[in-house]
Amino acid sequence: MNDVTVDVGKLREEIQSKYREVVDHPDATFHFHTGLRAAANAGYEDDWLEGLPKQAIASFAGVANPFHWGLPNAGERVVDVGSGAGADSMIAARAAGPTGRVVGVDMTPEMLQRARAGATEAGIENVEFRAGLAERLPVDAAWADLVISNGVLNLVPDKLGAYKQIFRALRPGGRIQIADICVDQPIPEGALRDIDLWTG
Amino acid sequence: MDVEYGPVVDTFGGAGGEEKARQFGTWGYPIRARKPA
Repeated sequence: MNDVTVDVGKLREEIQSKYREVVDHPDATFHFHTGLRAAANAGYEDDWLEGLPKQAIASFAGVANPFHWGLPNAGERVVDVGSGAGADSMIAARAAGPTGRVVGVDMTPEMLQRARAGATEAGIENVEFRAGLAERLPVDAAWADLVISNGVLNLVPDKLGAYKQIFRALRPGGRIQIADICVDQPIPEGALRDIDLWTG
Repeated sequence: MDVEYGPVVDTFGGAGGEEKARQFGTWGYPIRARKPA
């Protein structure tokens, strides 16, 4: 793992706890928007969300629009890093169509459970959700045409490791389309070790 | 690998984290790149 300043195990526990709360109480107040508000804020098209399970939408916590440059093409293989309750994975799966395939990866069991249930409810069969970390993607090398992610990599302590995994998972010529938060100001050293600042 | 940023999103405007977001100048972006062929 590349040099990180925060207690990685504790950080992952805090993140899982936070997003467990998003699954269980999506209408609660968080430091970020959720649900339809978050999707509208990010610029999602209304028809992308039509037909998606209500609970997948309610637990959506994206920060911008990974599909700004377009949805996946028909037949493409897509990996969603930090797939959460599955909204982006399901949107991608519908766009990729029956000859395409989507693999969503998430480290939070409750999110995986919600995503799997949601895909079944929506009748979306070309998506699967696998337990895993961004730093150790459970995906074969050069498998993906496209890697997406939304509001996830900012929470990964080993960002270089995560990007190396994304690079590994992409086929030559493949695309990465992510949405994430960036900062204008340098983060003080002490703040990098403050888990509360990482998680909200 | 060339990296391209899309339009900025006020991710935290009106949310509980807005004050901290403003403190560090935190904004959302779509970002894309392509792996060399």
